[in-house]
Amino acid sequence: MNKSWVLLFAAVALWGEDAREIAQKAQDRTRSQSERYTGTLDVFNGNRKISEKRWTFDRTGSHGDSKAILRFTAPPEIKGVALLIINHPDRASDQWMWTPALERDRRIALQDRSARFFGTDFSFEDLEERDVDQFDYKLLGEETFEDAACWKLESRPKQKKASQYTSSELWIRKDNYVILRIDHSKKEKLIRRLDYSDIEKIQNIWTPKTIEVSDIPRKSRTVMKVEDLKYNMPLQDSEFTIEALRHAR
Amino acid sequence: MRVETLLGGLILSTLGLCGQTFEQKGFVEAEMFGFPQTAPNDSGHFVGDLLVRWQASYQPVSWFTLSGGLEEQTDTHGDTEKSFRFDLLDRGLLRPAFALRSLKVTLHRGHFTADIGKQFIQWGKADIINPTNRFGPHDYLNVLDSEVLGVYAARVNAEYHGTSVDLVWTPIFTPSRMPLINQRWALLPPDLPPTVENAGTVFPGGGQYGARVNHIGKGYEVSASIFEGYNNFPLLIPIVNPASQTLYVQRFYPKIRTYGTDAAIPIRWVTLKTEAAFIDSRETSVNAPRSDSYVLWVAQLERQVREWVIAAGYAGQTVFDYRYPIYFDLDRGLTKTFLAKAVYNLDAPTSFSFETATRQNGGGTWITAEYSRQLATHWRLIGGVTVIAGNANDFLGQYHRNSFVVVRIRYSF
Repeated sequence: MNKSWVLLFAAVALWGEDAREIAQKAQDRTRSQSERYTGTLDVFNGNRKISEKRWTFDRTGSHGDSKAILRFTAPPEIKGVALLIINHPDRASDQWMWTPALERDRRIALQDRSARFFGTDFSFEDLEERDVDQFDYKLLGEETFEDAACWKLESRPKQKKASQYTSSELWIRKDNYVILRIDHSKKEKLIRRLDYSDIEKIQNIWTPKTIEVSDIPRKSRTVMKVEDLKYNMPLQDSEFTIEALRHAR
Repeated sequence: MRVETLLGGLILSTLGLCGQTFEQKGFVEAEMFGFPQTAPNDSGHFVGDLLVRWQASYQPVSWFTLSGGLEEQTDTHGDTEKSFRFDLLDRGLLRPAFALRSLKVTLHRGHFTADIGKQFIQWGKADIINPTNRFGPHDYLNVLDSEVLGVYAARVNAEYHGTSVDLVWTPIFTPSRMPLINQRWALLPPDLPPTVENAGTVFPGGGQYGARVNHIGKGYEVSASIFEGYNNFPLLIPIVNPASQTLYVQRFYPKIRTYGTDAAIPIRWVTLKTEAAFIDSRETSVNAPRSDSYVLWVAQLERQVREWVIAAGYAGQTVFDYRYPIYFDLDRGLTKTFLAKAVYNLDAPTSFSFETATRQNGGGTWITAEYSRQLATHWRLIGGVTVIAGNANDFLGQYHRNSFVVVRIRYSF
């Protein structure tokens, strides 16, 4: 093997390692033991607002190994509906839903995590946390995005990670490792875009307070505003069980 | 400013300042059923219902919650009591006009939770029928449109690392509400005396007990349960008075023991949910009718495909000992049946659902389709069509004259 091939392989290896390192740093800088926020979601079809929802979100644990409870507080007809999400590092999450009208919890069949979550443009998979170990990364280049210098990365799910997306492109700010945009594609066709904005430093973690998710084929979008966000709350594991799901906080 | 307003404001601001939470919600729902055909014991074509439900919870400290619900209802067809009595027990033949739906205290500390009071307890994982669900009586006045009823109980739950133990004791029995004899959902054999009347109910006096262990494992969830108490579906005791040519029907709730198990197993393409219970008589009185000895089981496959949620399954029954032939039991009636359900969410405020059940012998089929649309933040309109076909001697088929259309409008607050 001649010297130029060796150099090329070395460059490719370094390129790949950098991409994973960037993704790892982006993940590490958002790591917290727990999180609590209130989300207000406006769902738009084209430019027409068709619904408004509000939920509270509690999480304990972090990327790939976390538990979360999400409770709708508005509109009135779904107030009290709650979802327990148990994320696993090696497989799809387990989810249970509590429906107050039926007074029972039921396990959600989640073979297809591309299903929309309660009429929003988030899919069930979008609500799970991405863990760097579940993806392979490639650095595509550097770009200026929203007036900020960014790395542009491509991620592809590893074999055992079942994902609706075959690839994703991520724009990560160079100065603080905040993700500004994720474009999710299926068979090289863009199907969902997540834009993160209103970035504030909360308890030393750079945090987007507005997340806009667009379902490209449907031409619909959901804008979530994050309020009252707190990290590292003293939340107990026992608050993230099926029993806890049944009881309103 | 009125004194009440001032006091109310003071109380609310105090709650807010102390980090206490008070939450409330409810709805007002009006519905109209239209039946194209009359039934042998019911000449009505239209039934209108009005239901108001309100529920609230108050949590002064993180480990203590007081919650409850009230409901008021009326209708045009004699389904609801026409009195101002406030009902606490839900034991009447008719729906109470004013009722305590639930009222319980929840104590939660670490891995332990205790619920004491009138509450809803629902065991099981399947969605078609729940053979293990012994603490969940339902209102079956309209057989195909049931609603769970609260029970007075003390329930203690301990959960640790994915395994939970549920212990339940109910001191007062709550029956399922069965169809009214003089209405279309109670179909009587043709060779009965000309007059059929209720002869009252024998309510059991003792308490009921149950325990359930649930374990969430890697790629599965499984539980086992035991119940000792009374079937909330009644055995029907006929008493004939030849002089008045009247048949009196008495409801008797047999003492039973149930051993149950249920499981949910997500596999690559579908989630398998299955549930089974062995039910046997524990009646010790020589003169009392005894429950059959039987197994009810259900297996269903479920999958969510984009905006569709699809579930299909089969409910079965194996009887080991036939002891008493006359009963009303919807769970047993819906066995030997294939059932399927599909829900399609068109967009955020609109959904379409389709449900069907077909007996394996072809004796009865039931198909229902429902369209639901949110009209504004608080309003929802629902329209549905249910078609029932089959033979008069089949559990589902007997309702072949009860196909209906329904329109509901709901205001949620």
